[in-house]
Amino acid sequence: MDAAISTHDLSKLYGTTEALVGLNLDVPPGEVLGYLGPNGAGKTTTIRLLLGLIRPSAGRAEILGIDCQDEPVSVHRRVGYVPGEASLWPSLTGSETLHLLGRVHGRLDAAYRDALIERFEFDPTRKVRTYSKGNRQKVVLIAALMSRAEVLIMDEPTAGLDPLMERAFRECVAEARDRGQTVFLSSHILAEVEALCDRIAILRSGRLVEIGTLAEMRHLSALQVEAELDGTVPDLSRVPGVSAVQVEGSRLRCEVTGSIEPLLALLSSAGVRHLTSREPSLEELFLSHYGADGVSSEARIDGG
Amino acid sequence: MVGRGRDTYGDRRASRVVAVTTARRAGRPGALWGLVFGATIAASATTYTSAFPTAASRALVARSLEGNAGFEALFGPIHRIDTVAGYTAYKSGMFAVILAAIWGLLIATRLLRGEEDAGRWELFLSGRTTRGRAAGQAAIGLGVGVVALWLPTAVLTAAAGGGSKVGIGVGASLFFAAAIAAAAAMFMAIGMFVGQLAATRHDANLIGAGVLAGSYLIRMVADSDAALGWLRWASPLGWIEELRPLTGSSPLAFVPIVVLVGALVGSATLIAGRRDLGTGALAREEAPRSRTLLLGGQAGLTLRLSRPAIAAWLGAFAATGLVFGLVAQAAGSGLRGSPGIERAIERLGATRAGAASYVGFVFLFAAGLVAIAVAGQIAAARNEEASGHLENLLVRPVARWRWLGFRLALGAGLVVAASAVAGLAAWVGASSQDTGIGFGDLLVAGLNVAPPAVFVLGVSALVFGRWPRAAIGFAYGLVVWSFFVETIAAVFDSNHWFMDTSPLLHITPAPAAEPDLTAAAWLVGLGLLAALAGIALFGRRDVVGE
Repeated sequence: MDAAISTHDLSKLYGTTEALVGLNLDVPPGEVLGYLGPNGAGKTTTIRLLLGLIRPSAGRAEILGIDCQDEPVSVHRRVGYVPGEASLWPSLTGSETLHLLGRVHGRLDAAYRDALIERFEFDPTRKVRTYSKGNRQKVVLIAALMSRAEVLIMDEPTAGLDPLMERAFRECVAEARDRGQTVFLSSHILAEVEALCDRIAILRSGRLVEIGTLAEMRHLSALQVEAELDGTVPDLSRVPGVSAVQVEGSRLRCEVTGSIEPLLALLSSAGVRHLTSREPSLEELFLSHYGADGVSSEARIDGG
Repeated sequence: MVGRGRDTYGDRRASRVVAVTTARRAGRPGALWGLVFGATIAASATTYTSAFPTAASRALVARSLEGNAGFEALFGPIHRIDTVAGYTAYKSGMFAVILAAIWGLLIATRLLRGEEDAGRWELFLSGRTTRGRAAGQAAIGLGVGVVALWLPTAVLTAAAGGGSKVGIGVGASLFFAAAIAAAAAMFMAIGMFVGQLAATRHDANLIGAGVLAGSYLIRMVADSDAALGWLRWASPLGWIEELRPLTGSSPLAFVPIVVLVGALVGSATLIAGRRDLGTGALAREEAPRSRTLLLGGQAGLTLRLSRPAIAAWLGAFAATGLVFGLVAQAAGSGLRGSPGIERAIERLGATRAGAASYVGFVFLFAAGLVAIAVAGQIAAARNEEASGHLENLLVRPVARWRWLGFRLALGAGLVVAASAVAGLAAWVGASSQDTGIGFGDLLVAGLNVAPPAVFVLGVSALVFGRWPRAAIGFAYGLVVWSFFVETIAAVFDSNHWFMDTSPLLHITPAPAAEPDLTAAAWLVGLGLLAALAGIALFGRRDVVGE
């Protein structure tokens, strides 16, 4: 089956700045893809290219087999978009805005719209200029969801929402996935991505550095191991896959990539009193690409 | 334990940030406008000495123009026009005053209400200042903008005045520049004040534009009849006229100007300190009945958002046309037997004399006003894109060409409607004065002003399609340049290449001459081609924010 979203060597340059470089991505129908990266990594650039708001410097993008640049209107008929910052007409009311956006889109499930208004506890009677950031975000969320578009593209969609509304949002995305809608979710909220997404793509400095399911990523990543031994900790330098070794008396902390068996065999011979191993969280996976301070390891190397 | 940062700035110095930032943002455009005004004044003064070199030629001009109600209604009172100073004040004074007032209004609403609407004002207010104090600091910053406008105007006027043939003193030059800067200051204060009353910058601009239009109309009526001269004191623009710069400097009229500025700035500061951020003091019903009229698509939305501006422009053209018609007979009679002025109008293409000549002449200026209205449509399109509102449409099934095409069609519709309304209103006025100019002639005269505006619309759309961030400056700049060239061409036998750069000079002054259909077709055709190119380019470029 054709991909719902696919990009081929998609690139965007602003002068000499590489906003996005050679992005190759396929999102199958019905999948929720989490799109991660720090500020300036190229997430919004990707989304603006998919929506045809900006022109690629090279490559192309397709949504449901339709070229995003050549036939943007055909693409938009089948896409719902949630921007990270809702910029709406201040003189219209919430309901007028939803009416307008529904009519412009051409697809509107009025009953679902009313249900969404209730679920997000949104008051549509007030002028947009009086809304808080969270309420303006609800307008664009409802507008995108009520279209029941085949593909939903979301750029930091929960910015400004309170935890209760964030939960309502997660339910909506889960329902969309159950209905077979494809969701492209760019987010900084790792718990949200971890909870909702089938696969995760990680972007760094305009380049895709990792894509896969969370399980795949964990499998490829180091296991965190902590052990307390009966005696002294043996020399681990020859054990394959072991790194980041920290020894404190009879306590050991290290990371293991690949099979853990050689390490277990060595530790067993030394006498294990206590041992725990843990897979990395998405946050740890994410930070392993950028460092705890949010600066990419590549940038740190370049800078240092 | 909470660490204590070093207190680098004291409270007073920290709160000055608002004044400094506003001063920077008002000072640069203020200085640029000052250069434009100074250059225009210098050009008017020096061209007069060349166009009317002898005392006899100047006396002839004076005889025909002084007391001419029609010209006074349009450009303000005419004093001592047989002198370089008098002519310069008359020729460039009203032009500069109106532009300074518009700039003052727009910059004040942009730097206060606009910043508030965009959410940037909150950043200032989260610092060591209060709402009222920040508004007061912004007023100081705007004041710097006024000084920045005054300085180059004064310097260039004084420099030109120092020429042996011109002979305008330094004191008079400074006073003239102060009169122009006073217009900017008053409308800055008005912009600041209405920005506190209105709910958005857009609304504030509309109220401010209404005050400006009302002020212009009151002085227009006051200047059209000596018996109504007292009405000038009821109009801020009338106060500027009462200053009589270059023709008798009457500083007493600064009193109401200073009082108005002081009262409005004081009130605005007070209101800013008391009202909630993001609201207007004239509270509106914030849970209004939902009205979905015209919200069925992008075209309807554009129409709905443009309605207030379109209604305001049509009202302004109806009023202007009516006044033109009412004073046409009196003005036309004054022109008879005045070879100097008739020659000036002939330079612009007139072949008929009397009331028709006057109407033809003033309609050339109406053409400029229609072009300003059109530039406003380009500005609205660009602002829709820069604010991010347009993206809500373009991420849905709305083709870019359709959106821009409708916007331009609306602009063209405004041009035709405004032109026709001006012609019809002029006919209503003129027919009450037995001018003998028929309905058909005045309707054609009205429609005759449309082609230059269509051209401005088209080429500005082309710039919008390619260089969106330059579009607003280009559109207004082209109109100002066209006015400038027209002003020079009226008094000077100019090089035709120079004159050709003004679209306003490609039409004839109907009804004083037959409309030049060939030139009109060229202007409309080129405008249309440029617009189509602009639409095509817009479809192929990035959507860009501020």
